Amino acid sequence: MTAIRPQTKNAEPSLIKSAEIAEVIGKQQPHTEAKILTRHLNFFYGEHQALFDNNLEIATNRVTAIIGPSGCGKSTHIRVYNRIFELYGDQRATGEVFLDGQNILTPETDLLELRRRVGMIFQKPTPFPMSIYENIAFGLKLHYRLSKSEIADRVEDALRKAAIWEEVKDVLHKPGTALSGGQQQRLCIARAIVVAPEVLLMDEPCSAIDPIATNKIEELIHELKSSYTIAIVTHNMQQAARVSDYTAFFFEGKIIEFGTTKQIFTNPTNKQTEEYITGRFG
Amino acid sequence: MKPRPATGRRILNLLVNVVASLAASSGIIVLLWITIILAYKGIPALNLDFFLNLPTPPMIPGGGLANAILGTLLLTVLATVFAVPIGLLAGICLGEFGQQSKLADLCRFAANVLTGMPSIIVGIFVYGLLVLTMGNFSGLAGAVALAIIMLPVVARTTEDMLRLVPDPLRESALAMGAPRWKVTLLIVFRAARSGIITGVLLGVARVSGETAPLLFTALNSPYMMSSLLQPMPNLTVTIFNYAMSPYEDWQRLAWGASLLITAGVLVLNILARFIFGERKS
Repeated sequence: MTAIRPQTKNAEPSLIKSAEIAEVIGKQQPHTEAKILTRHLNFFYGEHQALFDNNLEIATNRVTAIIGPSGCGKSTHIRVYNRIFELYGDQRATGEVFLDGQNILTPETDLLELRRRVGMIFQKPTPFPMSIYENIAFGLKLHYRLSKSEIADRVEDALRKAAIWEEVKDVLHKPGTALSGGQQQRLCIARAIVVAPEVLLMDEPCSAIDPIATNKIEELIHELKSSYTIAIVTHNMQQAARVSDYTAFFFEGKIIEFGTTKQIFTNPTNKQTEEYITGRFG
Repeated sequence: MKPRPATGRRILNLLVNVVASLAASSGIIVLLWITIILAYKGIPALNLDFFLNLPTPPMIPGGGLANAILGTLLLTVLATVFAVPIGLLAGICLGEFGQQSKLADLCRFAANVLTGMPSIIVGIFVYGLLVLTMGNFSGLAGAVALAIIMLPVVARTTEDMLRLVPDPLRESALAMGAPRWKVTLLIVFRAARSGIITGVLLGVARVSGETAPLLFTALNSPYMMSSLLQPMPNLTVTIFNYAMSPYEDWQRLAWGASLLITAGVLVLNILARFIFGERKS
């Protein structure tokens, strides 16, 4: 298990051990600080408990994959990171989730700013009912005061980073819904990164698109991780193995095993993890 | 084992098909019938005088319904202006924010009951509310009565259309860090726009042909209107009066007015379908 040091004064005494380890490892791997640190996270859909005492670290500028069978709480877990679940009145989370040391589950958290810092890509592409250009400019206008030319520059920049600029540069004023599924998903990635987030949450971003488009998005994830911390939920274990540095295996709302992707896929310590990875269930 | 012969099944299938087709076409037949008779009787009445002149006493030629045409337009526009903002806001409350609240359930129930409320009851209600208190029949009272009929239509259509917008779209807008009101106005509303416009147009079509609520409120008038606080000439009550009169020229005007209103409602409906269809493509 890769221990990661929390950058927080609120860290609990039980973390001291992992913090010590982190100091040792930290000297060798200066990048692996926890961007997001989850402690004792429980989640409820009404009376039904979906997550049980989740503890997890999402490393800065790394890709962390979350795998597990359907209904095990993968999506539920990352949906806590931007508190998007609060759209529905009957869902609630207990425990602590630290983003750069700040617990985001407190009522004082500014949700709009949290969601600017933690962007999200959904399973099905969800272009807004407006032009391609406006789709990207929407978030910019929400969070920044910019001149028209600055907006245009940043829109282009985001579309380039999302590797879709060449395909849409001549049709920027067509509706976003007119693009193909794979293009729409890259549009959504551009839309998410234009507001300069620190974290990208991806909830099965490739499950609704074809293999070629999937390939493009995986390449994109590789490029994006130098600037962003990425947490990706995926059903596809090959994808987890290809794109991620760390992998967490979820089962029935619990985190069964967490480690480097290499370790999880070549030498899992837990029997359930091994059985899932080798395709014996799930 | 021999399979059952198919003949019986074929005959039954044919029979059911014929009966179902007849039932389906009965609606179209009635509509065609009405339209053809209206056109046959109404078109001769539609001349320049009809659109430009004021009504004349019976037997005096050159009478028209300029005042009633304008009056109906005015009543409908006013009712729309009253009902649409309130209806839209109520629809937003029901569709976006009130999934679980008791108030919304109550409001939804009230809207459903109001949709089925006989329009004459609404007319009598506004008669008591505005006509009696203000001392006379008025165009304002007529517009309020029409607005009350339109309100639940707009509110419920808005709610239904907002609910058709998939939650992931709301989530992705919220996940961008947009406040809820911006998500509703800039994203959800835009996604539901054509459906909501359709609902408003259907509401307009519904009230533009109403007669009963106007009998108790706007009444009617043979003169050009000068104020919203006076009785307001309108087509539907004019049809009601003229069609029952013994004078042939008044009856002819009533046919013309009927054709005009039907054509207007038809155009609104076609427009609504066109706008709604545009979204699907």
